[in-house]
Amino acid sequence: MIIEALEIIFLFSTALMIAYLARHYVFTLTVLRRTKNPIGKIAVDTKYAPTVSILIPARDEETVIGRLLQRMTELTYPHDKLQVITIDDASSDRTGQIAEEFSKHHPFIEVLHRDKKTGGKGKASAMNAGLKRATGEIVLCFDADYYPQIDIVEKLVKEFVDPAVGAVQGRPVVLNEAQNVVTRLVTLERIGGYRVDQEARDNLGLIPQFGGTVGGFRRSLLEKLGGFDESMLTEDTDLTFQVYLAGFKVCYVGDAECYEEAVDNWKAYWRQRHRWAQGHMQVCFKHALGVLRSKKLNAKEKIDGLLLLNVYFMPVLTLIAFFAGVSLILYQSSQLVNALWFIVPVSFYSLVGNFAPFFEIGIGAYLDGRTRIQWLIPLLLFAYLYNILICTKAFLDLLAAKILRKSWSDWAKTRHLGNGNSYIGN
Amino acid sequence: MWKRKESESMKFESNRLILGLFVEAIALCLIVSFRFINIAATATLLIFNLLFLSLTIHLNGTLNRKLVTLALGNITGLLWNFVLQYFDIAGVTFFGAPFNFFYAVSYPFLNFMWVVSFWSVSLAVLPKPKSKQSEMKP
Repeated sequence: MIIEALEIIFLFSTALMIAYLARHYVFTLTVLRRTKNPIGKIAVDTKYAPTVSILIPARDEETVIGRLLQRMTELTYPHDKLQVITIDDASSDRTGQIAEEFSKHHPFIEVLHRDKKTGGKGKASAMNAGLKRATGEIVLCFDADYYPQIDIVEKLVKEFVDPAVGAVQGRPVVLNEAQNVVTRLVTLERIGGYRVDQEARDNLGLIPQFGGTVGGFRRSLLEKLGGFDESMLTEDTDLTFQVYLAGFKVCYVGDAECYEEAVDNWKAYWRQRHRWAQGHMQVCFKHALGVLRSKKLNAKEKIDGLLLLNVYFMPVLTLIAFFAGVSLILYQSSQLVNALWFIVPVSFYSLVGNFAPFFEIGIGAYLDGRTRIQWLIPLLLFAYLYNILICTKAFLDLLAAKILRKSWSDWAKTRHLGNGNSYIGN
Repeated sequence: MWKRKESESMKFESNRLILGLFVEAIALCLIVSFRFINIAATATLLIFNLLFLSLTIHLNGTLNRKLVTLALGNITGLLWNFVLQYFDIAGVTFFGAPFNFFYAVSYPFLNFMWVVSFWSVSLAVLPKPKSKQSEMKP
């Protein structure tokens, strides 16, 4: 009885792993084919220049906020159509003062101060406060540690010519890659996630994800959806699905690059990924049924949506599959289990980091012309083992919160030390 | 004119010969792994070949270069699996039958190690694509 149950668990987990592997293989192949034979998107009206509001939530970001606001003043988009709202979210450092300095000299930069009573409740809450003041047709979001290209607004907003587009997403590129091994591994994850994964999903008409920064929405749609859900830890993923369920789509713009400061130590990595994992699981519970039942999504969008929603459960499932497999080998393994046993390590190596397989990350790095960093791909195994622990902890926290009926939206902010500053201007 | 044609024809013939040799080497690795190691080693080699052929075919570089890399990959995989087999024999000799369990659990992980490592190195061997210049050079 126990053996049979273990076999079912093992076979179910293995089938899911194979499904994810096949999905990423198709993604990689798609991007390779499209890179070789590019199919141009429908020509867009280059004169299209709507009013744009840029929201910058910032809490204790004195080390990085200055460089971003300086960049805002250098944007090539007509300044009379721009509104930059810096949300000083109950900062205890000089973030608010630095923003005020910029505001004095540049009328399109505004500062919204939130005190300790109203602020400090997470990014979604800060974004909603900013959204209330926004007047632009399009609302873009940038995290305080980001450093965008000067023409990024043009690149992002041009996609809104298509009335079906509800949101856009640009590409984050790690700024402090050379800092240490952690930042290099995060770079590899980002390459897999954006250069291949997001690009392929956009090309295949699946569900590219809004990543919470370097992207934006139609303000009318965002307001209709009720803004950012403050009970969600990953309000970005939640909004992605809300946009699709409302009948709109998210467009990925790979050439709209924005440079980010990646986490540079394993502790910060844990905090960030733990929040992502918890948030994703939260969104999965909220939207999985809606995605299945939706009449606005086609079959392939539904499949991709469900796979995307469940992605943070996969490391947990890999762990379960591993123990089930080991037990079966120890006690009584069938030929089928023996034959499929090798898929578990494939998954260990494949679902690394941002859940992109090694071959996908390798091809992404190659297409970016990054031949040296590829050598570090085997090290992603350790990052994945770490992710297994992170996701399992997030899953157990979720279970505990459900059983104890506790709120589990413990919002963990990533601290930025301004390590990326030295790379700007080189 | 005639000499140029002759040298072109010789180059074509030698290219075909090299191509044939490497295809034979890859086939030999598959047969040897199946006959003398185990089916899991052959399956891993086949996965590596499938990934390599279907994905790198779209990348820059001559067919010969890709085929040489692929053949080297197969030889590396074969040698790696031979080493693992002898590791198992040595382990069982020293630690007895329980080592078989340890080996059965860890073998797939150890077996796949060479695929990821060789894959990451082999892409670096191919010529870089003409990618757009990023504003920032990390």
